[in-house]
Amino acid sequence: MTALLDISDLHVTFNTRHGRVTALDSVSLHVNAGETLGVVGESGCGKSITALSVMGLIPAPPGKIAGGSIKLNGEELTTASPARLRALRGAEAAMIFQEPMTSLNPVFTVGEQIAEAIMLHQKASHDQAFKQAIALLDRVGIPSPDTRARDYPHQLSGGMRQRVMIAMAVSCRPKLLIADEPTTALDVTVQAQIFDLLNEIQRDFGAAIILITHDMGAIAEMADRVAVMYAGRVIESARADDVLDHPQHPYAHGLIDCIPNVGKGDTSLKEIPGVVPPLHLLGDGCAFAARCAHADARCTREKPVLTDHGHHPVACHAIEEARL
Amino acid sequence: MTFSFLLRRIGYGLLLMLGVVILNFLLIRLAPGDPAIVIAGEMGGATEEMLAQIREDYGLNQPLLTQLWIYVSSIAQGDLGESFFFNQPVAKLISMRIGPTILLVISAQALSILIGVCLGVLAARKPNGIMSGFVSVFATIGYAVPVFWTGIMLIIVFASALPIFPVEGMQSVRLRDAGPVVKTLDVLHHLVLPAFTLAIIYLAQYARLSRASMLDVLGSDYIRTARAKGASERSVLFRHALRNAALPILTVAGLQFGNLISGALLVETVFNWPGMGRLAFDSILRRDYPTIMGVLFFASAMVVIANILTDISYRWADPRLRGRT
Repeated sequence: MTALLDISDLHVTFNTRHGRVTALDSVSLHVNAGETLGVVGESGCGKSITALSVMGLIPAPPGKIAGGSIKLNGEELTTASPARLRALRGAEAAMIFQEPMTSLNPVFTVGEQIAEAIMLHQKASHDQAFKQAIALLDRVGIPSPDTRARDYPHQLSGGMRQRVMIAMAVSCRPKLLIADEPTTALDVTVQAQIFDLLNEIQRDFGAAIILITHDMGAIAEMADRVAVMYAGRVIESARADDVLDHPQHPYAHGLIDCIPNVGKGDTSLKEIPGVVPPLHLLGDGCAFAARCAHADARCTREKPVLTDHGHHPVACHAIEEARL
Repeated sequence: MTFSFLLRRIGYGLLLMLGVVILNFLLIRLAPGDPAIVIAGEMGGATEEMLAQIREDYGLNQPLLTQLWIYVSSIAQGDLGESFFFNQPVAKLISMRIGPTILLVISAQALSILIGVCLGVLAARKPNGIMSGFVSVFATIGYAVPVFWTGIMLIIVFASALPIFPVEGMQSVRLRDAGPVVKTLDVLHHLVLPAFTLAIIYLAQYARLSRASMLDVLGSDYIRTARAKGASERSVLFRHALRNAALPILTVAGLQFGNLISGALLVETVFNWPGMGRLAFDSILRRDYPTIMGVLFFASAMVVIANILTDISYRWADPRLRGRT
């Protein structure tokens, strides 16, 4: 079976005042139809850049897809014309953003904004599209949708706005839905509701979801498979259960150790020492070496490649040499 | 847009106008120089008796407060007094000239906003492109040159060297008996140079402002959302971005209206445009108090009206402001 989305060896660079930096370094991912792929990692690890590359929304300049390929339904996106990308965006692949407070245009009603997405990709009159928008608002659980459709974004709460974003994203029944930290800006009870909604939407619409998050709890709840990213590279990739129960990479270990264990009487919050190195300071070795307890000379010299060393694919010299 | 909001704004406007009337009156009466002597001087020599007669006729010998009361109550009845110099009712003088001034000011405002915003949007599309550089340079020059200099240069180039537009005035004498269409076209033909002269400073400002405002808006999350929907670049620029970027432009346009009216005074002088600016200029030189106050009154009224319109359009453009007072 061919994957719905197939990213292979993707390189994305940005021109910065520190010169050209590599934001994505040989990223390979695939998503099958109807499944949920979780992409986890700290801020700045390349999760969002991966998503924007798929959508063709890398700000260029300064960004540039320097190599590799992105295939959606077998169609190459890196070389597609701007018009073709516009036709695919919103229709075949749609995206939900992190900031519901600022992701809706303040001067148009929410119904209008959903209707616009429909009219861009379907042959629908304004009235038909607006009626569909109301139905979608109802579907995503917004009470009295026909009045709410005439509200402006500032009249809705954050959770409501994210529901509107979801309604807009699924309005043309895309095959791929990218959710970029959809709940980061929302409070915890609303987060759970949004995840439930995404699960329902996936069931009803049959869309594949890429869930970008740094929340391992969300991964446990939503994802079928997980890719762990660090400094622009995928460092571990497997079924969600495998990564959660048997993390291989020291960084994935660290991420999972960071999940607070309130029930077991342990009240301290764990952390991974250090920070993600700035992209322009990445050397030839493993980007995690400086923060890793198992790093040796080879780790600072040579980049590990994603390979299966028995359990599931991981990019780590220490595991390859069975030092871990 | 609520009716009560409109009523309240108009109420504030009227209060403001009353304040303007009182302030104008006091400022001019407090200025040095006896208007009776000026009036008498214009009539050619004066005895003490004549001066007393003039003071009696014009109410200049009454206490200041009484003069103010007479002035305010007669303005309320539409009577702006009699011009010392022109020997005509001020209201009549102004009504003959306010039309051309409004035409000039509104054309200049429309030109500067329209062209300025277009240039700004084009520049914001490629912030490091040639257009962007051109807008920056043009804006600096446009802002730096004085209105009268621009006017004279435009006359030299487009009326003298290349005689495309008329040098001065608002109508051609030889078209006095032409039909209404020809006459309108003739006025528009005369309007081009003065309107451009007046527009250029503001045009430059709007170009700079809308470039900055568009760049700001184009970086926002909802623009990314619009692109993610598959909206075309034109729709992103003109539908999603411009309406948001228009808010600061509207604010400045409202504030600039007053400056535009004072700029019109110079432009009218350069182009011999038969508007209020010329009247103001002449009446100031002749210390013709009723006329000066009448001109100030109407100029203030135009600014107040422009500000009310700005408020209304602001609410139209930004739904977040609706329902607030």
